[in-house]
Amino acid sequence: MKYNKIIVMILVLALSFSIVGCSTSTTETSGEMNGEKTQLVYASTKDIRDINPHAYSGEMAAQNMVFESLVINTEDGVKPWLAENWEISEDGKTYTFKLRKDVKFTDGEVFTAAAAKMNIDAVMNNFERHAWLELVNQIDHVDIVDEFTIDLVLKNPYYPTLSELALTRPFRFISPNSFIDGNTKDGVNGYIGTGPWVLSEHKENQYAIFTANESYWGEKAKLSAVKWQVMPDHQTILLALEKGEIDLLFGADGDMIDLDSFKALEDRGEYVTVMSEPIASRAILLNSNKQITGDIKVREALQYAIDKEAIAEGILNGSESVADTLLSPTVPYCNVDLEKRSYDIDKASKLLDAAGWTLGNDGYRYKDGAKMEITIYYNSDNSQERTISEYMQDNFKNAGVSLNIVGEEKQAFLDRQKTGEFDLQYSLSWGTPYDPQSYVSSWRIPAHGDYQAQVGLEKKTWLDEMIGNVMIETDENRRQEMYNEILTYIHDASAYIPLTYSRTKAVYGPSLRGVGFNVSQYEIPFENMYFQQ
Amino acid sequence: MRNYIIRRILFIIPILIGITFISFLLINLNTSDPAEVALRVNEITPTDEAVAAMREELGLDKPFFERYIIWLGNSLRFDFGNSYINNKSVSDEMLSALPATLYLAAIALMMILGISIVAGILCAIFEDSIGDKTIRGIIFVGTAMPNFWVGLLLMWLFAVKLDMFPTSGMSGFSSVILPAATLSLSYISIYTRLIRNNMVQNKNENYVLYTRVRGLKNWTVTKHIFRNSIQSSITALGMSIPKLIAGTVIVENIFAWPGIGRLCVSAIFNRDYPIIQAYIVMMALLFVVCNLIVDIISASLDPRIRRTT
Repeated sequence: MKYNKIIVMILVLALSFSIVGCSTSTTETSGEMNGEKTQLVYASTKDIRDINPHAYSGEMAAQNMVFESLVINTEDGVKPWLAENWEISEDGKTYTFKLRKDVKFTDGEVFTAAAAKMNIDAVMNNFERHAWLELVNQIDHVDIVDEFTIDLVLKNPYYPTLSELALTRPFRFISPNSFIDGNTKDGVNGYIGTGPWVLSEHKENQYAIFTANESYWGEKAKLSAVKWQVMPDHQTILLALEKGEIDLLFGADGDMIDLDSFKALEDRGEYVTVMSEPIASRAILLNSNKQITGDIKVREALQYAIDKEAIAEGILNGSESVADTLLSPTVPYCNVDLEKRSYDIDKASKLLDAAGWTLGNDGYRYKDGAKMEITIYYNSDNSQERTISEYMQDNFKNAGVSLNIVGEEKQAFLDRQKTGEFDLQYSLSWGTPYDPQSYVSSWRIPAHGDYQAQVGLEKKTWLDEMIGNVMIETDENRRQEMYNEILTYIHDASAYIPLTYSRTKAVYGPSLRGVGFNVSQYEIPFENMYFQQ
Repeated sequence: MRNYIIRRILFIIPILIGITFISFLLINLNTSDPAEVALRVNEITPTDEAVAAMREELGLDKPFFERYIIWLGNSLRFDFGNSYINNKSVSDEMLSALPATLYLAAIALMMILGISIVAGILCAIFEDSIGDKTIRGIIFVGTAMPNFWVGLLLMWLFAVKLDMFPTSGMSGFSSVILPAATLSLSYISIYTRLIRNNMVQNKNENYVLYTRVRGLKNWTVTKHIFRNSIQSSITALGMSIPKLIAGTVIVENIFAWPGIGRLCVSAIFNRDYPIIQAYIVMMALLFVVCNLIVDIISASLDPRIRRTT
């Protein structure tokens, strides 16, 4: 009898669990399509989270769907968007924007000069959060000229103003009705934008549904809805793609698709796989503030010791192109004539000999009894970087350099960047449209690994000043000259080993059309996509 | 009996204080500065001033013991503070993720009970037959295979190839089957073996011989054997329930299940200490309470236990 009681207790317990479980009403995936397919399912490892356009905790691709900017970055430069045109004053400090008159937020509110000013003021009220973006430091104030005209007044003639206004965040516009106490820094009470998509449903950590904005001022989206499906595991995403549950994978730097899987999907021929133009720079920081790598001859020698060709082809499966310079010549102001330094083990050895590092009996180099031993740190989430490190270890060994490899968890890796406690570390630029200005600008901030690696350079003070000056140089030719000086110095000082230029990748079924890339790797142009059998 | 229960419940208090203190201490020993991490997660450049301001905002400028006492006081009122990452209330975050995990664990528990009892009895009745050996073989393999691998294999076979279930996500009853099956697999192996072996042992007891002599039906005899064989399984099951709930971490990630396991994993990666602490407290409480229930049940069955503790 006693056992009966126990069994009853267990059953009651199990039942109570299942009742609790059942009360979490299971939502059927809405918008399943019959006949013609008009809803696209996009898989992401991350939830969209808080997409307040003036904050940084949301997914940028989602923010970009709902919120728009005054101007946009295109391959042909900055183009009008919510502003139909602009004028720049003689001194380069005042930008007058004429706003479009047909733009409405999805709550019916008209996008006026007052709404525009309110948004820019909200960003400026939260100055510290946006300090990474130099434009925020340069804006003095905004004036309303008339109902559809604003003046943006700067402290200096900051040249990247337009392209930084076009970034995915923070200068995007949210309806004044979504503000809390006239601000956005402590959150917003709705995600009402002017963009081609409306966030219509969000189940945290499960999915978000964006429906096409019926009253959009521009060319309307071709699909009726986009479902943002959260799948934290890469293998699950691949299986879901194979099953047809999801329609699109899209991302950069192995975040959504690792390269092996990309290659495998490509080889199967059942999917369309496409890659963007080279977007961001993958490089290795050589810490000029450390004993061994502090010697410029050593840094130069290491440039010749890495077989980048083999890394691009063998490890990255040809999905990235070899980088001879830190920034690709296709990036604005970066088409600078710099000496190309390819794999040449003899040259590396000669340079190391000249630096006083002589080959010992064990195949490694020594100087004053100390072994030539350096350490590279990578983010252990990134299997690609691990493989590259192992390859480099072998390359370096041929030159008599012992390379230790340490994989660390992401936060530890970032802490190390900040403190500068590394010989070698990976670095990835933000890509266009952040390159070169925002990227180069960040070299001056001590919290960045770039700063730490450069701090031992002879002319670091000059470099930082130069970067500050180029940002407010009004003369186009002079600006190009200054970039030439900056990029030449950093190249000659061998503070980086440029590896490859990364690309954004997309994988989808053959019935999906119109998949393309924006200038920024963080945005996904869903509005151009549609299905066709 | 009442005294025993009161004594045991009072004993929970020092245990929980010990657990919370140790977890608080360990988390604080971490080299990453939580204030800096909180800034970085929101893409704010961690300048010295920003870090100092954030330390004050998060209350990290106070000494360790003061922080612990404040945190302990608040957590008694189920106020675990706000997440460093999205500033939402930790209790709300936990409570919104908990039902999904309980649902998954409950279905897994039912699978464990249903399958292991049937398989255990069958194996015991047909001891050393081909069927018994086959089931034991499958069990052996089932215990040896890691969770994440089984999960992906099941997903590949049943979701992709046979198209019976969705691959992942929480959408209707069919979506819980694969994650629950993955979660329950290793437990099914344990319990089937436990039940089988106990029943095989019991089969040779005198009372079984006596029931047979009395000419009772085979099924009735088996029922008696089963009743006498499941005590150890019940004790083990009591401890398996919290393990099931705590063990959903990997399964939830693979099957995109929106439960607390996933919440905890992302909190660990983001160094979101308030969530990690709340998770530890919740799991500790779960283990302690389940342990207590099992002990009370055992004590009610066996007076000797009551006296010795």
